[in-house]
Formats: sequence, structure tokens, C-alpha cells
Amino acid sequence: MTTPTMERPTAALPARDGFGPAVRAEWTKLRSVRSTAIMVFLAMALTVLLSMLAAYGSSTNAGSGPTYVDRFHFVHRPMSGDGSITVRVASQANSHESARAGIMIKSSVEQGTPYAAIMVTPGHGARMQSGFKPDVAGSPNGAPRWLRLTRTGSSVTGYESADGATWTPVATVQVALPSTAQAGLFVASPGKFRVVHYRNGSSTSGHDETVGRAVFDDVDVRTAAAPVPGQWSDQDVGTGPPPEMIPPGFTRSVPGTASESNGVFTVTGSGDIGSLPPGGNDDVVMNGLAGVYFGLIALMVLGVLFATSEFRTGLVRTTLTVVPRRAHVLAGKALVVGTVGLAAGLIGSVGAFFVVQPIQRSHGYVAPAYPPPSLTDPTVLRAVAGTAVVLALLAVFGLAVGTIVRRTAGALIVVLPLVLVPALISDALAPSTSAWLRRLVPTAGLAIQQTRDRWDTAIGPWQGLGVLAAYTAGALAMAFWLLRRRDA
Amino acid sequence: MTVTVHAEWTKMRTVPSTAWALLVLVVATVGVGSWAAWGIDPFYCPLPRPDCDVDTARTTLAGVIVGQVGVVLLAVLMVTPEFSTGMLRTTLAAVPNRLRVVTAKVGALTAAVLVAAALAVSGSMAAGRVVLPGHGFTPANGYPPLSLADEPTRRAYVGSVLYLGLVALLSFGVSLAVRHTGAAIATVIGLLYVVPIVSAVVNDPRWAEWMQKLSPMTAGLAVQATKRMDALPIGPWAGLGVLAAWATGALLVGTVLFAVRDA
Repeated sequence: MTTPTMERPTAALPARDGFGPAVRAEWTKLRSVRSTAIMVFLAMALTVLLSMLAAYGSSTNAGSGPTYVDRFHFVHRPMSGDGSITVRVASQANSHESARAGIMIKSSVEQGTPYAAIMVTPGHGARMQSGFKPDVAGSPNGAPRWLRLTRTGSSVTGYESADGATWTPVATVQVALPSTAQAGLFVASPGKFRVVHYRNGSSTSGHDETVGRAVFDDVDVRTAAAPVPGQWSDQDVGTGPPPEMIPPGFTRSVPGTASESNGVFTVTGSGDIGSLPPGGNDDVVMNGLAGVYFGLIALMVLGVLFATSEFRTGLVRTTLTVVPRRAHVLAGKALVVGTVGLAAGLIGSVGAFFVVQPIQRSHGYVAPAYPPPSLTDPTVLRAVAGTAVVLALLAVFGLAVGTIVRRTAGALIVVLPLVLVPALISDALAPSTSAWLRRLVPTAGLAIQQTRDRWDTAIGPWQGLGVLAAYTAGALAMAFWLLRRRDA
Repeated sequence: MTVTVHAEWTKMRTVPSTAWALLVLVVATVGVGSWAAWGIDPFYCPLPRPDCDVDTARTTLAGVIVGQVGVVLLAVLMVTPEFSTGMLRTTLAAVPNRLRVVTAKVGALTAAVLVAAALAVSGSMAAGRVVLPGHGFTPANGYPPLSLADEPTRRAYVGSVLYLGLVALLSFGVSLAVRHTGAAIATVIGLLYVVPIVSAVVNDPRWAEWMQKLSPMTAGLAVQATKRMDALPIGPWAGLGVLAAWATGALLVGTVLFAVRDA
């Protein structure tokens, strides 16, 4: 018979009380379960696949339309050779901050022909423009204001004046004008953008037509110091959108008018002159990452299970025996699951970014309206890398909620609707309510994907990420407090 | 059979998660529905205005989108814990006929969900009748009080109860197939929510329409519409039919897998 003997360990066990071993232990636990590999794979694959699906379903015809707008009411008479037109804009109605009232020398009354114009606006002072290029700003003064255009060959100089005596040049432009051009007064007023939300979740956007109105007096058109004789005629240059293109409930366009009595002209008109912003306003980078909603489900499940499975199996008691410092356990878990989330998110978002680009190009998202996005553009890089940060934070958030709730089902039923439902019901809510909702939920973090300012933007990219970070930090703090306070 | 249903009913009512799940269903449905009705912004829809026809019945039912997570929770927890705790072996020792176990579970689940859903949906309607008149939705403006006597309104409310019942069946089938709490909840919630989210980015009308027609949630909730029916991707009952097809498919796959696999 031999008596079993217990040998006393001759050397102390290697020190386990440290953060490094805790992180290592958590990493071993995470990588050695099968569901981790499944969830990480799903996070990457679904992000890419669903982004592709969304890209296949989206197209644009931006870039095929005109690149300029040339629509206004024009009161004109022919002017041969060099000459000038001078006028006083006595008053201008504030139909739109960028409504235009002024004078113009234009090749013909056809839309899109060369011109030079100087004008006043209710909100942006005096402006000069030609070639559908951006305005040259003059003084910040609106009506009443004296304006003058002087043509010398192919160059036209615009002047403005407060009193008609002292003139300040605004700009000189080169315009390809025929020997006999049309000179006269014009009024334009752009539409006002508006979005109507219907209760069924759909929305319509459009422009309400506005009508600009201005009164001109002291009109003087002359060549070589001699007044130009002849009749004034007036007409709309360009046409407004056809009625069937205007959504119901939006103000429609009306033709412009002009009347004259004792040298005082009253002119009304709608429209605008200038370059059109290139194409639509789709955020191609953000749309190209739409599949991330699937990726985040997988990573949040990963985070939740990383916490709850320990509670369910009782492994947490072993964990806490080995690493009694509960802060180390939770921090180690957060670090591990956050790093895995960041890596999976980075692969998913960079993958989606490159995979959807050819699809988006073949669906009309091409330059100049949609120049190809590049990762060297800081905004694009912020969106793509930020998506990975969002996924990492959501995985840690899932871990924290899992630690608080300690049950898989309970934790998932809290976190998944919390991140997904706001995106769904925000359309069914009033726009102001919906904007607040989208600012206050964890998915505000996805604002980091924005690369364009849009009318439906609820929160800035960094602020949105800050909201998500605050949720994660708050949940982690509560998880730590509960983990310390409760029995395992 | 009665004994089996009774056994399932006992298992269901004696775990605390059932009460929680049903509470989530009722409170979220009524709460979010009242909030949505409260939040109708008259600025965007000045009354009376024919081109901005507010679907008040549907708005009061907006909470179903959130409340359904209670149904998912209840259905999943009738299945997956039996696998993880080994309870299923006890169940099958008592009732060896697996089809009978499934039928009994489905019966108990459906009964509980339909009763709670009826309560939640009635609560939403009652809340709507209280909130809406204060926001200008009065008979004088063309909005009579919500009433089940009106055919489309009845369809919306009764249809919402049926919708929740079908979500229960869908979740139940998925749970039988995947056997894991986390995976089952993630799959069902993913299936319900993510298609509508992705289809919101899709701007090609044909793609968007097809995705909405096939999505169990978007198609199923078409039954809530009482106005602007031409804007729906799919007819009300046809949409509920799509969800029923998903539920039947999940239930079939789940039952077959349950019948052929070891417990």
C-alpha cells in the first residue's frame, strides 16, 4: 500500500496578478470557441455582401443633365457694337435671399448663350456673373443700387454705385458676344427646397417656385454717348419645370411679367442663372457601407456572448479565481473583443468600399457629379476607418450589456433593437422628433460615415461617434460596478 | 395532446422570461404607438389637406415594430434553453413523439402571443383615440375616431395581431433550426429589421419594391395601411401572406431538423 502524498510546490506559481495575463487568457477564451470565428466571418461577409446588394439597387442619372441653369425674365433691346447700360434698381422684393435683379448683355435670348450680368440680391449684396461661373461678389449692398455694364469689344466691365455719380468697378469679364447683342433688365428668383414626409414613411422633396419682383428706373442704354433707340421687348428665357414634374403640394411656376410707365420698369420673374451643383447629393461612401448593419449585428452578438456564456456555464467563477481583479477581467475582455471588432470591421468596411466602387460606377455614379472616392481623402478615410471603430465600440457595448444583464436573450433583446429600431421608425416619426432620436441612440456613431452635408443629416460625424463612445463608456462603467458588487 | 399542451404551458408560465417578454410586447407596442401618434407634426401636414393624408391607424400601430421583439424573445426562449440545459431530453422522454411536442409548443406559444398582441393592439388604438383629437385629427377635419367598424381600420388592427402571431411562428421555426439562443435572436431580428434598413438606401424603385415585397416585416406590416394604398409595395393581405410563407417555411425546416437530429 502506498499512501498518496501531496507534494508542496517548491516554487511559487508564476504571478497571475497582472493585466497582461488577463488579456491573454481572455484572448484564448475568445479564439478557442467556434462561434467567434462564425460571428467574425459573418460580420465581414455580410458587411460586404449587403453593401454590394445596396449598390446594385441604386443608380443615378446625375451627369447626364445640363450643368448650368439659365432661366429668368428678360426685358431687352438690341445693342450694336460697344456701349453701356445703366440702371437704378429702386427696390427688390425679398422672395429668396439669392433672388437676382439687375442688367445683362447677352448674345441672344436663347437659353445657354454667352452673357455678362451685374445684379443685386436681397441677401448677398451686389454680384457680377458670366459664363455660368460662380458670382464675383461686389459690395454687400442690395437695392436701391445703381448698376452699369460697359461693353468694349469682347470685354464687359460691371460697375456699381450708391448715387449714380461715383462708380466702383466690380469685375471685367471676357464674353464672346456678336456685334449686335441684347442688353436689358432681368429678374430671377430660385425655388426653395422642401421635403414633405408622409406618414407611411415615404417622403418627397422638391422646390417651391418663388417669384422675384424688382422696380427699375433711370434706365439708359447708349453707344458712343448716343442713346440707343428702339422698342423694348420682354420674355422668359428658359422655362420652368413642367407641371407633371412638380410633386403635389409644391408651388408651380408662373411666367414672368414686365410693365413700364414713365421710364419706371416693374419686372417679375422666376429662375436662376449659374452653374448647377454637380449632380445629385447621394452620399456614395455612406451608401456603399450600408451592409454594416448586418456586420454590427454579428459583432454585437459576439460581444454579448463573450460575457453571457461565462455566466451561463459558470466559467466566470474560474475566471475570477484565476484573475481576482475584476477590473482586469472586464478590461481584458473589452480590449480583446474591441480589437477583434476593429479588425473585422476594418476588413469588412475596406472590403465593401473597394467592392462596391465598380458597381456604383456602372450605375451612373461617375465624375463630375460623383468623382471616385479615394482613401487618401481624409473625409473618405474617416468614413471607412470610422466604420471599423463603430463596430469595435458596438462589440464592447454588447460585452458591457451582456455583463450587466448576464443572460444572452435578455442582453440581445436590449441591444439589437436599440441599434436597429431607430433606423426603422425614424421615418415614421415627425422629422424633428426623428432627428432627435437619431442623435440620442448608439447608432448616432454611424454618422462617422457621412461624407456629404445632406438635408437629412442629424448629427456631425465626430459628435455621433462621441455619442456612441459615451454609451459604451457608460455601459462599461455600469458593468464594472455590477461585476464588482454582485456574486459571480 | 391536451396534457402535452398543458405541460408546455406550465413550462412557459413558470419561467420569469415569459412575463418579461409579454410585458415588452404590450408596453413597447402601446408606448411607441402613442409616442408616434403624439409626434405627428402638423407643420408638415397642415389639416385639412388632401395630398398629405395621414394614416392615423398605421401611426398608432408603429409600436408593433418595437413590440415584436417581445414575441421573438418569448418564442426563442420556448425552444433554445431546452437544448442548452438538456431539458429537451426530459421533454422527449415524457413525450417521445416529436411532432406532438412541436404542435403543443406552437399551440401554447400562439395562444399566449395572440392574447397579449390583442391587448397591445387594443391599447394602441385606445391611446390613438385619446391622443389624436388633441392634434387636430377630428371628425371636422376628416378624421373620425379610430373604430373597428371601419373596414380598413379593422384590417389594420386585426392584421397587426395576426402579424405578431406569425412573427412568433417564424421565430419558433428559426429557433428549432439553429438551437442557440444568441444565434436564433440575431437571425430573426436580422431577418426582420435589416432588409428594411438596406432597402432604404436602394434608390432603384424596382429593387426597392422587390426587397420590400419579400421582406417579412415590410411586407407583413402592409396590413397596417389604411390610406395611400397605391404607395404600398404589396397589398395588405398579400403582404401578410408573404410573412406567413416565411413563417411556414421556417416552421417546416425547423420541424424537419428537429425530427431528424439528436436532442
